[in-house]
Amino acid sequence: MNRSAAARAVLALLALVPLVVVAAAVGLSLGAGNVSLGAALRGVDPDATVLFRLRVPRVVLAAVVGAGLSVAGVALQALLRNPLADPFVFGLSGGAAIGAALSVAVTGTVLGAAGISAAGWLGLLPTQLAAVAGALAAAVLVFTLGRARGRLHPERALLVGVVFNSFASALVIALESVLAPEKTQAVLLWLAGTLGYEPEPVLLAAGAVVLAAAAVLTALAGRLNLLALGDEGAAALGVDVEATRIICFFAASAAVGAAVALTGLVGFVGLVVPHAVRLVAGPDHRVVLPASALGGAAFLILADAIARVLFRGLGTEPPVGAVTALLGAPLFVLLLRRRT
Amino acid sequence: MSKALLAVDSVRYRHGPDSPEAVAGVSLRVDPGEVVGLIGPNAAGKSTLARIACGLLRPSHGSVRLRGDEALALHRRERARRVAFLSQDEPADLPFTAREVALMGRAPHLGLWALEATGDRALAAAALAEADALDLADRPVAQLSGGERQRVFLARVFAQDAALLVLDEPTAALDLAHQVMLVAAVRRRAQRGRGALLVLHDLALAGAACDRLALLRAGRMLAEGRSLDVLRPDLLGEAYGTQVDVVPDPATGQPLVAPRIPR
Repeated sequence: MNRSAAARAVLALLALVPLVVVAAAVGLSLGAGNVSLGAALRGVDPDATVLFRLRVPRVVLAAVVGAGLSVAGVALQALLRNPLADPFVFGLSGGAAIGAALSVAVTGTVLGAAGISAAGWLGLLPTQLAAVAGALAAAVLVFTLGRARGRLHPERALLVGVVFNSFASALVIALESVLAPEKTQAVLLWLAGTLGYEPEPVLLAAGAVVLAAAAVLTALAGRLNLLALGDEGAAALGVDVEATRIICFFAASAAVGAAVALTGLVGFVGLVVPHAVRLVAGPDHRVVLPASALGGAAFLILADAIARVLFRGLGTEPPVGAVTALLGAPLFVLLLRRRT
Repeated sequence: MSKALLAVDSVRYRHGPDSPEAVAGVSLRVDPGEVVGLIGPNAAGKSTLARIACGLLRPSHGSVRLRGDEALALHRRERARRVAFLSQDEPADLPFTAREVALMGRAPHLGLWALEATGDRALAAAALAEADALDLADRPVAQLSGGERQRVFLARVFAQDAALLVLDEPTAALDLAHQVMLVAAVRRRAQRGRGALLVLHDLALAGAACDRLALLRAGRMLAEGRSLDVLRPDLLGEAYGTQVDVVPDPATGQPLVAPRIPR
């Protein structure tokens, strides 16, 4: 495989763009009721409304979240030199859960009303706002506690993140026991990763955040490769290890924060997509990062389409987070077995 | 007089506030065309001094200059274009292929998106050939033997194309033929006006490979000079705390060093 990184990246993207297009076509054509594309393009209702107001935003939402979680997963796995790292490893899932649970707890109080107006101003639901605030607060906390003697120690931050996630789930269980069950049920279901229908400005803003994070991380991809040599090895090749870590950490957290705001905690994407891409394309982050963005987008669009179709008969939809794991785990094992 | 590739001036370093000085006032110089060997017992401060020379550790006192410029004041990438470092413990479990690792040596020369050009790829291939690792090019480093892996990391260092090589125990995992290959490659570079600082444990090899030797003990310079002047039974005995015989090689006159092993 004696091709340059640029050539391999282009090849990977050429292979993946059609995949995203196919996934989007599947996502747009599936759903409750049939839509005629011709009618929709001519502006005939209800086809046009269903396609452009419902299905297109939904597919874009899945693409943004899938891409964001996947690039964050790649970045954090490289940063921690740990293949098991997922986008929520730095305490983000725990922080989101605390935020969401608190937002339910304060419903009906003055604080709750303030939360509703603040969230409404951003075009979000109070739970969404609280979850993303909790996730980002957790990231900052873990980042702060992961520093010692003026340096970020990834292993230390990882431990703090894991401990914080456990602490958070205990706190959420304690909150649940005092709150009305139907209230917490709804929040927890949303937290499990649910794709809904977001207002356009929110969708665009989240898309911009994810795109910017993906661009920053791809620009750092060469340095992420060098981090595999160890801190000293990377430094000897001219890498500012500390700055690379900090930028990566915050770019990944921003992408995850955007995803959490839109959908809660969609698990497994950030773990399975990067590994699947690596199995096919090798370990070079200059290829893996952009390829994971596209792969993650396609994966989540398809997972969402499957969630909508399979459970249509029951008149409900499982959280897409459940589908990603149901779909991703066997797919991953299959890839792993074919490779070795 | 041309500027020294490396000029270390009375540097001191301790690993922690409570630890003793690992390097306690050492000066050292590598001029263009020179191969200098750093020898001494374990924990003498050789590896620490090597890292200080590369700007990887900040000495508490003294200065390090690379071609006349303060090493720590140079931009990291510029520093990496002037000095290449091979560590004693490079990672064993890299998923990258040998070619990809050799190309990592080009990193300080690349632009924003870190994409290498044809010239970089040619240099990496030449470096792999020079380190006798071209036949390993497309194999993942994690699957190689220790000696093969060492040759791949040497290729990375060669590809970095720095005027000064600082190699910490480069021969440790290499068989005899590849030790000879390494020395030949380093000496070829020296003939083109470059230089090297080699941390070595094999004293006979150090004597044969290097123009000058620096003998460290407990963070201090015990002796420095031509190999014949440093590889003396009295100096080595004092440094290592064991009896050592030195005899001239009948063929070349180079000092051969043999520890006296009691039995």
